[in-house]
Amino acid sequence: MLAAILKRLGSGAVVLWAAASAAYLALRLAPGDTIDTLVGDGPDTPVIRAQIAKDLGLDRPAVVQYADYLWRLLHGDFGRSYVLQRPVIDIIGSQIWPTVKLTLVASAFSVVIAVGLAVLTAGRARWLRGLVSGVELTVVSAPGFLIGILLLSVFSFRLGWFPVSGDRDVSALVLPALALALPIGGVLSQVIREGLERALDEPFAVTARSRGLTRLALVWRHALRHALLPAVTLAGTLIGFMLSAAVIVERVFGRPGLGEVATEAVSSKDIPVVLAVVMLAAAIYVALSLLADLAYLLIDPRLRKG
Amino acid sequence: MRKHLATLALVGLLLSGCAGSAAEPDADAGAPVQGGSLTWAVETEPITFNPHQYAQAKARLLVWNSFEALLTHDDKGGYLPWLAKSWDVSADGLTYTFKLREGVTFHDGEKFDAAAVKANLDQLLVSGYAPGVASTQLKNYQDAKVVDAGTIEVHLKKPDVLILDFFASPQGAQVSPKSLKSPDLKAGGPDVVGTGPFILDRYTKGQEVHYKKNPAYQWAPENAGHQGPAYLDEITYRFLKESSVRIGALTSGQVDVVEGVPATEQELVKGDPNLTFSKQLNSGTAYSYYFNQTRAPFDDLRVRKAFRDAVDVDALLQGVYRGTATRAWSIVSPSSQFYDATLEKTYGNNPANANKLLDEAGWATKDAEGFRTKDGKRLTARIFLSAPFVRDKRDILAQAVQAAVKQSAGIDLQVKVVDQGTATDALNKGDFEVFDNSRADTDAGAALTLILPKGAPINRHGFTSPEIDEQVAQAQATQDTAKRKELYLKLQQTVVADNATLLPLYAPQDQIAAQKKVGGLKFEPTAGVPGSAYNVWIGK
Repeated sequence: MLAAILKRLGSGAVVLWAAASAAYLALRLAPGDTIDTLVGDGPDTPVIRAQIAKDLGLDRPAVVQYADYLWRLLHGDFGRSYVLQRPVIDIIGSQIWPTVKLTLVASAFSVVIAVGLAVLTAGRARWLRGLVSGVELTVVSAPGFLIGILLLSVFSFRLGWFPVSGDRDVSALVLPALALALPIGGVLSQVIREGLERALDEPFAVTARSRGLTRLALVWRHALRHALLPAVTLAGTLIGFMLSAAVIVERVFGRPGLGEVATEAVSSKDIPVVLAVVMLAAAIYVALSLLADLAYLLIDPRLRKG
Repeated sequence: MRKHLATLALVGLLLSGCAGSAAEPDADAGAPVQGGSLTWAVETEPITFNPHQYAQAKARLLVWNSFEALLTHDDKGGYLPWLAKSWDVSADGLTYTFKLREGVTFHDGEKFDAAAVKANLDQLLVSGYAPGVASTQLKNYQDAKVVDAGTIEVHLKKPDVLILDFFASPQGAQVSPKSLKSPDLKAGGPDVVGTGPFILDRYTKGQEVHYKKNPAYQWAPENAGHQGPAYLDEITYRFLKESSVRIGALTSGQVDVVEGVPATEQELVKGDPNLTFSKQLNSGTAYSYYFNQTRAPFDDLRVRKAFRDAVDVDALLQGVYRGTATRAWSIVSPSSQFYDATLEKTYGNNPANANKLLDEAGWATKDAEGFRTKDGKRLTARIFLSAPFVRDKRDILAQAVQAAVKQSAGIDLQVKVVDQGTATDALNKGDFEVFDNSRADTDAGAALTLILPKGAPINRHGFTSPEIDEQVAQAQATQDTAKRKELYLKLQQTVVADNATLLPLYAPQDQIAAQKKVGGLKFEPTAGVPGSAYNVWIGK
C-alpha cells in the first residue's frame, strides 16, 4: 500500500518536472521575446533591449537559465514576472481564487445538468432523447465565447438579471459559470445517458423491476452507479478542459483569473508566470487523477477488494 | 471569430430596439454636479501603474487621474504650466529653469518641491529602471540642480526642444519620493502615488481599478475645465476587452462610459437616444504602410509609386470602417500642427498610372493568375501583422488593400497575420517588403526622430539621406516653432511626395460613448486620447 502511494507521488513529481520542462522548451523555441512586450509602444533601440535583457538575466545561456529556474522552483521560488514586475506567487495568489470559484460552481452546474438530463431522458421516447441530445451536441460544438456572448446578450444586456462583469457577488458568477458548464454538461450527459441505457438493459435491471422497484428508483439507485464510472474518468479531463475554457470566459465576462493571466503571459513570453501556471495546472491534473481513482472505489464496490 | 462576436452582439442589441440619435456630450448632463461614483469600461488593462514605465497609449487616460507633470499640452501645440508655475530657457537652449507651484502635496503627505523633481529625474536614470526614457526622451539630459525649494534647473548636453514634451509626458510625471523606494515601484499601484485629483486605492488585476477623490487637490492646469477637487467622489475603470461586451454593458446601463467603440458599433451607439458619442484623432503619425526599399521590388521608386496609385484608399476606408475613419495623406497625423496639407490628393487612385509605371519598371508580363512578373518572378510583397497587436480591423484593411492592388495593378500583396514573435523576427531580419506602423507621440516630431534618420529604431524602410538626418536634428534643436514647422513640412515633402517611402492610410482615433447624464468628458489636447476623469460629473 505504502509502495503504491510512493509510486503515485513519484510519478506525480515526474509529471510536474516534465510539464515544467516542456513549457520551458516550448517558450524557448517560439519566436520573439519578452523584450518586445516591455518595449511596448515606447522607444525601441538595441541599447534599450540589451539593458532589459541584462536586468532580467536573459543574456545568460539557455541551459543556465533553465537550471537556475529548476533550482529555484525546488525551493518554492517562482521568481518575479518580467512584465508585471511583481512576484509570481502574488500574481497567482491573487488570481487563483476567482478561477477556482468559477470552476467549482461550473462543475456543480455541469453535474446537475448532466445527471438531470440523463436521468430524465435515458430510455425514454426516441424524439425526446433525439431533441435533448441534439441540443447538447449543439452546445458542445459551439465556441465558448459564442455561448458567453449569447448568455450576456439575453440575460444581462436585455433582461438585466445578471451583471456583465467582474468578480463581485454570487449573481456575477451565474452567467460565466453557466457558459463554462453548458458544453461540459452536454458531454457528460451524453456519456451518462449511454451508460444508463446500457445498465437498464442488463438482467439485474429486469430483476429489480420485477421486485416492484419504480423506474426512477431503479435509475437513481442502481443504474446511475454503473453509468458514473466512465463519466468520472472523463471528468478529470473535462476539468482540465474547463481551465482552458476559463481563458475565454474570463475575457468575455471581464473577470479576473488565471486564464487571462496565462494568455497574457504566453503572448508576452513572461516565462516565470507561464511556468507557474503550467506547474499549477499539472499539479491539479495529478491531484484530480488521484481523486478519480478514489472516486471509483466509492462508486463501485467491486473495485474495493483489489 | 471576432467578426461573429460583433455581429452577434449587434443582433442581440438590436433586439432591444433603439430609435433617435445620440447627442453631443454635455447637452443633457446639465451643470456640473459634485459627488457620485462613475463606472468607465476601458479596453486595455495597463501593464503597470507607474507613469515612468508607461508604454501603452491606451492606458494614458488612467495616468493623469493620480499623477501630474510639470507641464501640460494646450490645444495649439504649446505648453501650459501645471506643477511648474513657469519655465525659462537659456539663450543657448541648454538650461531650462522651472519655477514650481507651492503648496502641492503627494497623496502620502510628502511635499512636492524641487528635491522631489530631482529625485524623479535621478530615478529615471537608474540603470535598468526605465531604459526607454533614459535613452530617448532624456538622451540629451545632463543633470538637474535644486536652486531652492521652488526652483529647479535642468541642464542639457545639447539643445533639445523635445525635453518640454518629456516634462508634459506620462514618463515625466511626478512620483512621490517616498514611493520611489517602494518594492512595488515598477508595477505601481496603491503604494506608488502622485499629486493628482484622484487617489488609486484599489486594483483588482483582470477586473478593475478604483480611484477616490483627492479632497486636498487645488492645482489643476488652466485648461482642465474647472479648479479645486474633482467632481466625482469615486471612479471605477473596468477592464472589458471585448468591444461587444463593452457596448452591451453601456447600452444596458451597467457602465456609464466606455472607451473604444469600433466602427461596426458606432452606428448602434449613435442611434441610441440615451447615449452620447464623441471621437478625436490621435496625435503622432498616421497608420501607414512603409515600403522596404532595401530590397526588390520596392527598391524601385516607380514600383512604390505604382503601389500607391493602385489603391483607392477612400473607397477601402469606406468599405472597412463605414465612413468612420479619417483618410491620411502624410506620415504626420492631420491633427498635428506640423501636418502638411498640401500633400492631399497629390497621389493615389490612378490605376492607369500604376500600370504604366510597372510596365516601365520591367514588370511588364503577367502570369496565369494575373500577377505581374519580371524575369519569371512574380511581383510579390509581404506584410506581417502581429496578431496580438491587430486593432482597428487592420487585418481586414490589409485584405482590402491586397484585393485592390491585385485587381488594379497585378501586385501580389501577401498579408501574414502571425504571432508577435514571428512578426518581430521578420522585422529584425529585414525579411519583409511592407511594414505597417502608427505612433501616438504627442509631438509628431518625436515620432519622426524615431522613423526617419539613418539607424533610427523604426527606420525599417531603409530610406536615408544626410539632409533628412540634418533636418530632423535641427528641428529637435530649435525653439522656434515656425522654424520647426518649416523643417517638418520639408521632410514630409521629401518622404511622402519625392521618395514615396510610404502609403499613409488613416489617422488613428479614439472614441468615447457615454450615458447622457455624464458631463465633462474630454479628450486630452494634442494627444487626442480620452482625458482623465477630473472634469467628469454625473448630472441629475
